[in-house]
Amino acid sequence: MSAEKERLLQELSDAVVEMDEDQAVAAANEVVDRGIDAYEAIERGLSAGMERAGDLFDQEEYFIPELLMCSDAMYAGMDVLKPHLKADNAAVKHKVVIGVVEGDTHDIGKNLVKIMLETSGFDVTDLGRDIPPARFVETAKNIGAKIIALSTLMTTTMEGMGAVIRQLSEEGIRDQFKVIVGGGPISQGFADRIGADGYAVNAADAIRLARSLVHPSAAAGAAA
Amino acid sequence: MTPNERFAAYAAGAPLDRLPCVPIVGNTAARVIGVKVGDFRGNGRLIAQAQVASYRLFGYDIIRIFTDLYTQAEAMGAKVAYPEDETAYLAAPAVDDITQLDRLHPADPLKDGYLPEHLEAMRRAVDAVGDEVAVTGALTCPFTNASFLVGADQLARLMMRAPEKVHRLCEISLATNLAYAEAIIAAGCTPSLTDAMSSMSVIGPRQFKEFSLPYLTRLIDFIHGKGKKVTLHICGKTSGIWEAMVAAGADCLSLDNAASIAEAKQKVGDRVRLMGNVTPSEVMLQGTTDDVRAATLACIGAGHDNPSGFIVASGCSLPTETPFANIHAMLDTVREAGWPVRRAV
Repeated sequence: MSAEKERLLQELSDAVVEMDEDQAVAAANEVVDRGIDAYEAIERGLSAGMERAGDLFDQEEYFIPELLMCSDAMYAGMDVLKPHLKADNAAVKHKVVIGVVEGDTHDIGKNLVKIMLETSGFDVTDLGRDIPPARFVETAKNIGAKIIALSTLMTTTMEGMGAVIRQLSEEGIRDQFKVIVGGGPISQGFADRIGADGYAVNAADAIRLARSLVHPSAAAGAAA
Repeated sequence: MTPNERFAAYAAGAPLDRLPCVPIVGNTAARVIGVKVGDFRGNGRLIAQAQVASYRLFGYDIIRIFTDLYTQAEAMGAKVAYPEDETAYLAAPAVDDITQLDRLHPADPLKDGYLPEHLEAMRRAVDAVGDEVAVTGALTCPFTNASFLVGADQLARLMMRAPEKVHRLCEISLATNLAYAEAIIAAGCTPSLTDAMSSMSVIGPRQFKEFSLPYLTRLIDFIHGKGKKVTLHICGKTSGIWEAMVAAGADCLSLDNAASIAEAKQKVGDRVRLMGNVTPSEVMLQGTTDDVRAATLACIGAGHDNPSGFIVASGCSLPTETPFANIHAMLDTVREAGWPVRRAV
């Protein structure tokens, strides 16, 4: 049983790295048939595969087309496994609201961050692109998000990020949320200037940042 | 010296006052004449007026008629949103569904979308100052334009799942590009090629060679056939495709701040002129004049001895609200450095 389980976890992981949706679905079905824990199959199978894909991206072996295909395979497997998650697995996921700010429709970078956040165990609400500041704030309040993640590729729309933070301050709820920013023209200097809680240079960095903001001590330990 | 005299002297190795310098001014030109960016929509006369005024104010060496990347895609059916006073952006690709590929046709630059107005802007700018400065017309390259026809996500997936469809899209894009390039040249300008999506920040070198390079090469061959030199700008990381960009026939590589001028000089500087790469947002938009001066000096230091020549430039188009003082500071720094570049640099 254990050897069989390890083989299936490896198959799920490989299916993601090899961008093979059919294989991901087949392996996920086998996991269900054999009564293997769905949560473990997602964590140690599909998510582990997505992390390997992320490493290949960092090494410039994979690029954005490959990452999107890997995520398609991951979600295909996830769709099979999710209905079989036990209730106690579903607890303690930190919520994130993510979107591309108003005036910009470049969303590939945002999509990658979303995928990697989900892979890392965050519960992500994706507003999409061209989103006015008020919608970020409203959604974050409604779902009880811990983190608001803002993306833009355009210098013309950077200022919209500051508008989200200003609105939080005006409503007196700035300290209830961590605001993180990223995208082509964004820098640590810009993040500091608008009073964001963090800046990430790429998707992998965004995960480290998000983890450190919700579990400050755990992240410090991991970094040491 | 006029910009034309400066470039001619530089190419001939004759005495020169300074290196050519091009802070890539796009919609910042609206601020120069006090109009809104949205006023440029379909108004070639105003675009020309702003670009010529900007050239006269700052004294840089190339005028580039550019408002956004989407003019050709829009002429092929993509939906573009025009905020009142900010840069236009792609609201929706030309087709939502790849089965609608047959609906796409090459644009006629004399009729479709706002291409005629951009050509009008080019003609007017040439009429006004064409005897002293080169006027170029921005042209979004086949692969990037294709991404606006079906959407970037969909194009990326098609590359893996149905490569033949990507080739069809690039072929249709190229047909528009060739017609537009011809019209730009007929307007007295040189096409200025920009290919954001071909960046290694998006696709890999193998994918560039398969999907972008063949069409880029045909486009550049066509422009060369009309007796014009080609500057090729690809955003973001590009070091792994410099050789391919040179193989495509580019005469000048315009490099983003994510690339290294010093490294490009070593690898391809014997064959192509380089242009770049002061950071548009962090330095030009947000920095002080001292920051601009330091960054410009660093560029001059890295590029001035490039065997095939160097143009001091921003790494990409400048953000609309770039302070005028920073653009002046870039030019002033290049003037002070002189030519040959002073030792102090």
